Amino acid sequence: MDILKIFVVDDNELYSRMAQHHLSLNPDNEVEVFRGGKECMDNLYKKPNLIFLDYSLPEMSGIEILRKIKETHPEIPVVIVSGQEDVSTAVNLLKEGAYDYIVKDDNAKERMWNASNHVRENARLRDEIDKLREEVNQKYDFSNIKGNSPAIKNVFKLIEKAAQTNITVSVTGETGTGKELVAKAIHYNSKFHKKSLVAVNIAAIPRDLLESELFGHEKGAFTGAINKRIGKFEEANGGTIFLDEIGEMDLQLQAKLLRVLQEKEVTRIGSNQAVKINARVIVATHRNLAEEVKSGNFREDLYYRLLGLPIELPPLRERENDIVLLAKHFVDEFARENKLGKIQITNGAQKKLLNYRWPGNVRELKAVVELATVMVDDGKIEERDINFSSTSTMDNLISEEATLKDYTARIIQHYLDKYDRNVVKVAHKLDIGKSTIYRMIKNNELTI
Amino acid sequence: MSDKVYDLSQLEELAGGSEEFVHSMIETFLEHTPGQLEEMKTAHAQKDWKTMGGIAHKIKPNIDLFGIKSIYSEIREVENKGKNEQPDEALNGEIGKVDEVLKTAFEQLRTL
Repeated sequence: MDILKIFVVDDNELYSRMAQHHLSLNPDNEVEVFRGGKECMDNLYKKPNLIFLDYSLPEMSGIEILRKIKETHPEIPVVIVSGQEDVSTAVNLLKEGAYDYIVKDDNAKERMWNASNHVRENARLRDEIDKLREEVNQKYDFSNIKGNSPAIKNVFKLIEKAAQTNITVSVTGETGTGKELVAKAIHYNSKFHKKSLVAVNIAAIPRDLLESELFGHEKGAFTGAINKRIGKFEEANGGTIFLDEIGEMDLQLQAKLLRVLQEKEVTRIGSNQAVKINARVIVATHRNLAEEVKSGNFREDLYYRLLGLPIELPPLRERENDIVLLAKHFVDEFARENKLGKIQITNGAQKKLLNYRWPGNVRELKAVVELATVMVDDGKIEERDINFSSTSTMDNLISEEATLKDYTARIIQHYLDKYDRNVVKVAHKLDIGKSTIYRMIKNNELTI
Repeated sequence: MSDKVYDLSQLEELAGGSEEFVHSMIETFLEHTPGQLEEMKTAHAQKDWKTMGGIAHKIKPNIDLFGIKSIYSEIREVENKGKNEQPDEALNGEIGKVDEVLKTAFEQLRTL
């Protein structure tokens, strides 16, 4: 906000001129003076940021004008200025929505000055909050999860369903598929969005600290508990708690978590008083929890309690053309952030992206194309600009889903090339019979 | 000329060095207050106490602003007696003093 528009409504011309003069000492104040309530009402379309209103005006009383202003423009702060100090009138006016009550005495001008500064600061902060809230909402809008594939569209549908209710949501999917993004999309589009989204990565917190991290503790509850601390569940009250990597939680704590979810209350360690908790719970894991239940690593009762609405994120390799769509999105975003101009992805490079298995999923894709964007010289990402840094070549090999016979042939071929076509040596290395290799050469399955 | 009945120090402080502002305030004061004074006296003569008190309420901040200290308490008496509709024997004298001192102030300010 640059200019603060101020109305001064007073039939005492001396007083209003004085106020105008005084308030105009700040060049960012724009002051207009009106003689009466009607004149003021007729000019409200100019959207003043602040009105100083004399309490005793001839045609309409101050309280009448205040009510009328509040009816049509409840957002405009109205400061009542009065010649008399009268506590009960002041209290009534404040109840009617007056912003402040100033008595025309020696301090009046300072108080008017202060009021205008407060309103200016408030307006600035409100603008900023609106802008930030807007930004956050946009950031986690559904449309920010990109994709056209049927697999991801189904996920959108589930997110929408989850956002409309307060059901517990369990998000599963391989690493890098965007589980946290889903949690954010649900939170910011649900009725819980006015309070915090509190994310806890179970795997990242040492086992011994996890309990106090989640549920809080009282001062002196254990060695080192110097201060009282509220836990993540309490922090998330009224909002959403996102428990990532829930599969990593040990069995003992699982029992406590189950109790919290069932009773909807937490008890800080060392306290005997329970605190009611109303928070949406979203959990995520890259593990197959059903399997974990079978192998005894995850409590069955907790599993069912947490299952709620399951959302399974498809791995990137199953999202077909989304790979190209996402790659383009990341390239554009990265180019824009770094002011690199328009960068295209050549067909060859697209094909290379599509043929890769993406064990790190979207996270890996983002890293790969960002690196490619940096390496680019002429505004085009070529095949050679794309480098996979995957730690597991095995994953890639397997992803081709060739037959075992084919894989066998390729492995033997690899060894033959490496050991100068020495069949005896290769047979020894791989612990297979020489005759097997000779037979495959004869059948043209291997080249020598 | 007799001693000044007004004191412009508050107004000057407010003006922050702008003589133009002080002058425009004096002009405004001279333009409106004499009429208000007459209205107040008329209301008093007609025993319209409420109106009298209302006008006194309007004149009061002007008297304060121009530092016309000798009638600070009188104008407040008039205001309160009017508001509560409780005139007493002292009222005539108070109105008279406000009238006299204000007229002197008008004269002195006009010659500035």
